[in-house]
Amino acid sequence: MRGNHIQVLKHAPQTRLMHWVHLISFLGLAVTGFGFYFQLVAVDYAFGGIGNSSIVHRWLGVLFVAGPSLYILSNYDRFARFIDTISSFSRDDFQWFKTMGGYIPGLKGDVPPQDKYNAGQKILGWVVIFGSLFFILTGFPMWLFRHSLPASSLNLLYTIHLWDAVLSTLAVLGHFFLAAIHPKSRVEFGSMMTNGYVDAAFSRQHNEKWYADLHGNE
Amino acid sequence: MPVASNAKIIEISAECKACDHCSAICPTGAISGVLGQQHTIDAAHCVNCGQCLINCPFQAIHDLSRLDAVQAALADPRRYVVVQAAPAVRVALGEEFGLPPGANVKGQMFAALRSLKFDQIYDTEFAADLTILEEGTELIERILHSRGPLPQFTSCCPAWIKYAEDRYPRLLPHISTAKSPQQMFGAVAKTYAAQKLQVDPAQMVVVSIMPCTAKKYECARPEMIASGYQDVDIVLTTRELATLIKQSGIDFLGLPDQAADKLIGSSTGAATIFGVTGGVMEAALRTAYEVLSGEQLEKVEFRSVRGLAPVREAIVEIPVKALGKKVPVKVCIVTGLKYVDPVVLDVLAGRSPYHFIEVMNCPGGCINGGGQPIRRDF
Amino acid sequence: MSVLIEKSGLNRRQFLKGAGLLTATVVISGLLAKFGIKAFARSTAYIGQRAAGVYSLDEAMTIRRSHQNPEVLQLYQEFLSPGEVKPLSERAHHLLHTRYGSDIPALIADLKIHALHAA
Repeated sequence: MRGNHIQVLKHAPQTRLMHWVHLISFLGLAVTGFGFYFQLVAVDYAFGGIGNSSIVHRWLGVLFVAGPSLYILSNYDRFARFIDTISSFSRDDFQWFKTMGGYIPGLKGDVPPQDKYNAGQKILGWVVIFGSLFFILTGFPMWLFRHSLPASSLNLLYTIHLWDAVLSTLAVLGHFFLAAIHPKSRVEFGSMMTNGYVDAAFSRQHNEKWYADLHGNE
Repeated sequence: MPVASNAKIIEISAECKACDHCSAICPTGAISGVLGQQHTIDAAHCVNCGQCLINCPFQAIHDLSRLDAVQAALADPRRYVVVQAAPAVRVALGEEFGLPPGANVKGQMFAALRSLKFDQIYDTEFAADLTILEEGTELIERILHSRGPLPQFTSCCPAWIKYAEDRYPRLLPHISTAKSPQQMFGAVAKTYAAQKLQVDPAQMVVVSIMPCTAKKYECARPEMIASGYQDVDIVLTTRELATLIKQSGIDFLGLPDQAADKLIGSSTGAATIFGVTGGVMEAALRTAYEVLSGEQLEKVEFRSVRGLAPVREAIVEIPVKALGKKVPVKVCIVTGLKYVDPVVLDVLAGRSPYHFIEVMNCPGGCINGGGQPIRRDF
Repeated sequence: MSVLIEKSGLNRRQFLKGAGLLTATVVISGLLAKFGIKAFARSTAYIGQRAAGVYSLDEAMTIRRSHQNPEVLQLYQEFLSPGEVKPLSERAHHLLHTRYGSDIPALIADLKIHALHAA
């Protein structure tokens, strides 16, 4: 292992770019969104004055939709493979939940072989997809149909948007913790955030079923 | 004690979520603020209609309440508290107690006011009939004897009046000089009724229950003192009456069917329809037709002026005995103040074809006023 | 350093799952739009219902013409225009009519003088 230093290219450049765009827009949306909903004046003024954080929020929202949309259109095969992976659940995935992948101290047990994404990551995938959809389906009407929608509908959209924001932020915080801080999982950090590579040894252990299907770059 | 006339009747609270829904609702553009910015109301242009209030998705807009002043007056043995209730209240008050919109709670409304220990319980509809006689006669005088410019505009909507005074001072001679039913009632209560009841008008407190927030502004206008006192002292909205009833522990739905007190409390069907768009027009036509023709109408309904479209028009053929011929009376009905400008501009340009124009600020009429129960149906 | 990579390409199942998700998104958006339009109609239905309530009350009243209200007629006979029913009488003008805009200060002055005389 040491001598050969085999790496796996886990995420293509387009994928990493899309992830960065989505990440940055999400962070900006969270800061501006919580900023003007809770009237955090500091946030407003950071963007140049009251009302500006709302303008920034809307256009980041456009970016938030545009990034993944362009990716899906130009990388339909990667998108479809991703959907296939996160919608395939087997006994190995249900077993994974019993030990939570070994990430929780005290929860001991063997972790069964996993796909490209482990069972927990598959769930996160759906959280991101549905979370994003709810943001988009509530957010754009809140902006574009705010005059024509009846009051109770507008209230409902704001409520859904707010709860989505709270739950998504919590999910992202958990995701960030595992991706960048937890010593067992942050090993993979570079595969999405920098050069796309992860050690073959890591993949063979943590994503056994996917590793078996890889081939050499001849 | 009159409320200062520059007191803000409608105010946006700090609960505003800056969703910007209200700025399009406001018929006069009095609300400023962009999406994401806490909105504010410019009192100079606000006509106090409360449409923003009933349509705010977060119920972050409030109207000035003098409910405590009413409770104080009721508790004060020296005060003789007289109450009037508007037509539109009796088909919406039930909603605050779980009934559907349109449910007739007229009887329970009067019973509730009696349980609340008002000294006399009257009906604004009495004054609505009075308004028809005064305003109808004024219209006939303008049409037959040119005693004023045509078309004549109705004057019972205080939001419309403020709007006209702000924007179209040249139009004012066209507006009927008749006061609104609320204000006619107050003037009559503190003179005629006070005499008949042998009550000192200085001790009389006139309260009105209205579907409207602009009426709070109207009663405090400095010229509304024809009786020698402030003609109408305090206005409560339908919502505030419901609050008062609930606070007093009255079982509203279990109340018996009661009527208003006699003297200035009787009403007619014509008065009742004042609450809906086209109603003032129809009530006026019922009287104008019979007075001008000397005939009895077979059917009193004038369906051509009914409906919910924002600007409607109709032609009513009235046989005028004095002229010995039929006059096609052309009328126009506006519901929703944001639709009134083209109609007014036609009048000012001298090209309006109408004799009589009814203007109500609120879409649908007073039944959809800023003081009514707030609906949140999907 | 040698690099391992994923197999490229798409099998039928993967293609269909991706397409299915996109289709579901479009369908759900359409349903929400339909809901929004229906919601608007339902949100204003109460106005027509209250209006219907008002017209029902009118139909149930014995007297349906303003000029037949007995207490109004009595008010004219006894107070506004004693002995007759005469709208626009002097007292009616004083109590029941008003002026607007720049005419108001003069009106207030008139009313105060009138009150002085009555006292």
